[in-house]
Amino acid sequence: MRQVKFILALWKANIQAAMEFRAAFFTQVIFMMINNGVYFIFWVLYFDKFNAVRGWDINTMMLLFGIAASAWGIGAFFFGNFISLAEVIVGGRLDYYLSLPRPVLLHVLASKSIGSGMGDLIYGIGSFMLSGYFTPDGTLRFLLGVFAGVCIFIGFLVIVQSLSFWLGNTVALSQFALSALLTFSLYPSVLFDATTKFILLTIIPAALIGTIPAEFVREFSWQSAIQMVSGSLVFLFLSIFIFKLGLKRYESGSAIQVEV
Amino acid sequence: MSSIEVNNLQKTFQTKRKAAGMRGSLRALFKPEYTSIEAVRGLSFHMEAGELLGFIGPNGAGKSTTIKILTGILHPSSGDAKVLGFVPWKERQKLAYHIGTVFGQRPQLWYHLPAIDTFMLFGKIYELDDRETKKRIAFLSEAFEIQDLLETPVRKLSLGQRMRCEVAASLLHRPKLLLLDEPSIGLDVVAKQHIRDAIKRMAQEENVGVLLTSHDAGDLEALCRRVIIVNHGQIVYEDKVSNLKRKFLTRKMVEVRYAEEVSPNFSIDGVEILKVGSYGVKLRFDTTKTPVDQVMSHLSQAGELVDITVSDPPLEEVIAKIYQDAQPGMRT
Repeated sequence: MRQVKFILALWKANIQAAMEFRAAFFTQVIFMMINNGVYFIFWVLYFDKFNAVRGWDINTMMLLFGIAASAWGIGAFFFGNFISLAEVIVGGRLDYYLSLPRPVLLHVLASKSIGSGMGDLIYGIGSFMLSGYFTPDGTLRFLLGVFAGVCIFIGFLVIVQSLSFWLGNTVALSQFALSALLTFSLYPSVLFDATTKFILLTIIPAALIGTIPAEFVREFSWQSAIQMVSGSLVFLFLSIFIFKLGLKRYESGSAIQVEV
Repeated sequence: MSSIEVNNLQKTFQTKRKAAGMRGSLRALFKPEYTSIEAVRGLSFHMEAGELLGFIGPNGAGKSTTIKILTGILHPSSGDAKVLGFVPWKERQKLAYHIGTVFGQRPQLWYHLPAIDTFMLFGKIYELDDRETKKRIAFLSEAFEIQDLLETPVRKLSLGQRMRCEVAASLLHRPKLLLLDEPSIGLDVVAKQHIRDAIKRMAQEENVGVLLTSHDAGDLEALCRRVIIVNHGQIVYEDKVSNLKRKFLTRKMVEVRYAEEVSPNFSIDGVEILKVGSYGVKLRFDTTKTPVDQVMSHLSQAGELVDITVSDPPLEEVIAKIYQDAQPGMRT
């Protein structure tokens, strides 16, 4: 409960900071929604020619986009530093969080809000509602799928970026990992061969963000549920463990910083 | 009772070495070389509860690294330290409830928000209830004279105004110990005085211990009773500020002004003439080598004195002298 109150206070501060630049915030939200819509046009044109690909039709694609965009949006809006953790570590900016009496990782992640994330979230919810799976039990499964997606996005990127504690500057590596995860999460993994599918379930766990949750919402199966829940927990706990281990090697720095 | 106990503290950083240019970059890529830098070398000291301790030294002396170890930000390579009974790097969260920190180069106030919003956020972070937080903000804003600044976005405050808000924020949760790392960096004389007065007041009223690192000897003179001087990660001097002044302030500066034009002969052994004019002169001499009365008698014989000023050299000069003479391990 203590940490919940703390997180709510941080989110409040983030929203207050975003409202200092209202026009910029709303512009980001609107343009991100348009951006996602334009990207989806590719699939509209594709399914206009072919009705389905390996059992996936336009509705399932809308569902997949809905889950992935919502998961990304929640991560970016509420835990925005999960994208820039490597820069925080390398720049010695953990000092601020380490001098306050709260869990460092949670504090860092929730201290930044990316306005465009709200655009992703609104788009994701809209996409799900139009996908044809917007039923009471479909919505519950959607929420579970989005929760798994948030955990995988954050957990995977925290692990990759925590390598900065050992390897120094991993900002470029983190951006590569982020692009790979995001790109593959927006494709159904049924399109790929067995080896690629294995990679997408483990090394770059994009299938756990897009395909598996979408299949789970489409039709309940224990296999999908177990894959999602166990995958989320493994990445989440592994990320906390690796970050804490790395924190002992943190070297700070003398760069000038500000909290925005 | 000690608030800080440090024994044989060491911190070594591994730094990658790279020769200049593209060839150096390629060599470093395939055959990286590392150098060990000992930022803190066997530091031992203690600080009493409620004490005002200055921790000074030149750039790279290990001041900030020591403060970061004492707040739990960095893990030491070896050695022991206890701050308010806690081992900082093992009990960071518990310790953080009892200390306040200000890093002059690392603001803690949210840049785009008014300071009052960060104060309220800090209230939540330190688990104060809203009523208590507001009461404390009212008290601190009066003590630091920031009542009119609280609702202005931090980005629009001057550096001096912002630093007053920073120090006030660090005292929100009534810490027993305040660790200030270069709190006056970049401030003008008036802003420095504001900060010093407010810190002094808080230290007296709430019995807050203050460990202060600074480049500014004025901070030391205004705030601290005891001083530790570090260089190359080691303590080179440790004593009361008053003793430091007595031992190292043996050089005096004398400036005199005469009623009429004079052409005195000031060639006294051991006296350095800094400035000479038709109506006055400025001298510097070492009192242990040249008696004061000898200098004064020379000056008074030269003409009718209308003004005389005797002053100590600035503390910066004193510290520079200690740095020049200092050998590691020198303590009083």
